[in-house]
Amino acid sequence: MKRILSVDDSASVRQMVTFTLRNAGYEVVEAVDGKDGLGKVSAGKFDFVITDLNMPNMDGIQLITAIRKLPGYAFTPILMLTTESQVEKKDAGRKAGATGWIVKPFNAAQLISVAQKLIR
Amino acid sequence: MAKQSSGNVADVLDRATGKLQMLARDSESRIASVAKGFEGLATQTDKILSLASAIVDSLESESLRSVLPKVQTLGTSARLFFEERLNATTGILSAVEGESKLLRQFSQVTRRQAGIALKTSVLTMFTNIEVGRLGSEGTGFQHLAQTLSEFSKTLTQDTEDLARHIEGRKPAIEATRRSLSSELPGLQEEFARIDIHLGDDMAALQSGLVQLSEAPVQFRACVENIAQQIAQVVSAIQAHDITRQQLEHVQEAFDLITSKMRRPEKSKTAAAQELSRTYASLKVQIYQLQNIQATVRTWTSQIRTCMEVILNVSASDVAGISPLVLAREQEVSSKLVHIEQLEHEGQGYSERIRQTVGGRSTLMLLVGEHTEKSKLVRHRLHLLSLNSIIEASRLGSQADAVFEIAKSISDISIEWGKVTEQSEVTMGEILGLVEQTSGLMEIFSDAGAEPLGEAQAQTRIGLAELQTTAAFAARQAHEIQIVTEGMQAMSAGVGNSGNLLEAAYGHVDSVLKTIEDLKLQMELDYPHVKRGFNIAEMEHLFSSSYTTEMERDVMRAALHGMPLPVAQQSFEGNTVELF
Repeated sequence: MKRILSVDDSASVRQMVTFTLRNAGYEVVEAVDGKDGLGKVSAGKFDFVITDLNMPNMDGIQLITAIRKLPGYAFTPILMLTTESQVEKKDAGRKAGATGWIVKPFNAAQLISVAQKLIR
Repeated sequence: MAKQSSGNVADVLDRATGKLQMLARDSESRIASVAKGFEGLATQTDKILSLASAIVDSLESESLRSVLPKVQTLGTSARLFFEERLNATTGILSAVEGESKLLRQFSQVTRRQAGIALKTSVLTMFTNIEVGRLGSEGTGFQHLAQTLSEFSKTLTQDTEDLARHIEGRKPAIEATRRSLSSELPGLQEEFARIDIHLGDDMAALQSGLVQLSEAPVQFRACVENIAQQIAQVVSAIQAHDITRQQLEHVQEAFDLITSKMRRPEKSKTAAAQELSRTYASLKVQIYQLQNIQATVRTWTSQIRTCMEVILNVSASDVAGISPLVLAREQEVSSKLVHIEQLEHEGQGYSERIRQTVGGRSTLMLLVGEHTEKSKLVRHRLHLLSLNSIIEASRLGSQADAVFEIAKSISDISIEWGKVTEQSEVTMGEILGLVEQTSGLMEIFSDAGAEPLGEAQAQTRIGLAELQTTAAFAARQAHEIQIVTEGMQAMSAGVGNSGNLLEAAYGHVDSVLKTIEDLKLQMELDYPHVKRGFNIAEMEHLFSSSYTTEMERDVMRAALHGMPLPVAQQSFEGNTVELF
């Protein structure tokens, strides 16, 4: 079963990501912020990462930058799920190594479809 | 009322921040509980849909889809079966009435033939007297007399036999005619009743089976609707996170204002400018809080509505699909039994009609034989007539009496010929009737019931498929019932979830009231504050911390004195932008 990491400081958003993707047949692991997320990525292999941008301890951009440096994560798809829609923020995400961007709230069917497309 | 000092403003904002922090904590735990409830509900709904989906799959199987056409064929065959019998019965009555009339005509024929036979017998006697009178001269005539005597005996015998058979047949035919005449209206009523019952049965079956065939479409629409509702709840629950961030930004703004208010200003001008900035900040936060109020109302109501719709699946037709399948199967079974009963009744009538019209073949044979014999007699009488005339001519003047006899034989021959012709015509008519009746009787034969029997067999096959599906649906129904009960137990929680969230955000009202009062007091105490701030500076101050376009729009509206932007929340969810 393909593994997905959901990183968000909002418990309800994590719950909804997990609910949506688990019903689509994925194993979903949750992390409460960037630091927690990085720890989990380092400890195990994930096929897809979905992260918030603004989080305590370590934000989404820092997390992506750190993940890209980990062995085996250079091409792992990473999606930013955030309330931010500013172009500068998106650019920062892209430069850090994000694969895509989605402004909250996400469309459940679309998230599943993107996960299916990005996870090989 | 005393003028608001900077310290007082800071204290009020401190308390408001405290309230907002409490609200954020409270709403976080409540939204988590709503999300949990939603997950439970969605899982149960998914179970119901999976169970119903399995039933729908079996309903969509090729063999089951053919049940309706099979039942329709059965209905058409059954109706045709009874209609043909009704028409045939009417035809048979008409044939029996025709036969009765023809038998009367035949009686007249036999009576006339009996008369001719009597005349021939008398003539034989005269011929014998004349043969005796002529002595040796009448030897040739003697042979004629002998032939005539034999004819006379045969004719008498045949005519008597036929008359006896006709007379014997007459009461049977009359009884049949009377019986059919009196029973036909009853039979017609019976067949009409059977037809009505069949019509009712077929209409009930058709509507039931059509309802069943619509179930998959209905199910798919329901699945689509539920998926949409679930997606909307997923979006609405996420909207809480946006609201939470917006609240955090208001708290951060309060903290910023409070820290600045508590800082001692170097000059009166600087203090006045700071008061204006504080006023502008409060104005922005009031707008943000009003926007939060409107947004929260939208998504809490969305959560409640969608969850109620999801909950309703347990009471919907989709959850009730099993009883529908079971009811249809029972209906088809009972209707098939009923149609078989009706057919059985119809076969009973067929048997009675078969018995009634049977037995006519012997008579037909006899009439046929008699007609053939009559034709032969006609021929021989004609020859006899010619021979008697030749014999009379040969005898010359002594044969006046023989001439008379010859003339009588000729007259008898002519009369017999006429009677035979009439007999032939009547015979032809009787044969026509027999043919007509035989055609009608085909309907009452076993072959006549074959199409109905085939349709019944096909329907039984379809019924067996339906029974298998019904048995499966019954097992699924039990599980659906258990899940449904679980969902019903959740209904109270679903109803409360929206209320609890709204109650949590109710604290926004009191904070808003406090801040609005504070802003009003500042306008009264320091009228210059309304004009003393720089819009661009304030925009710069707040916009960096805002994460959504809505927050920025609300801030601009507040600073430019425009109406509050309408909180337009999309619950369709946003799409992914891939880099």
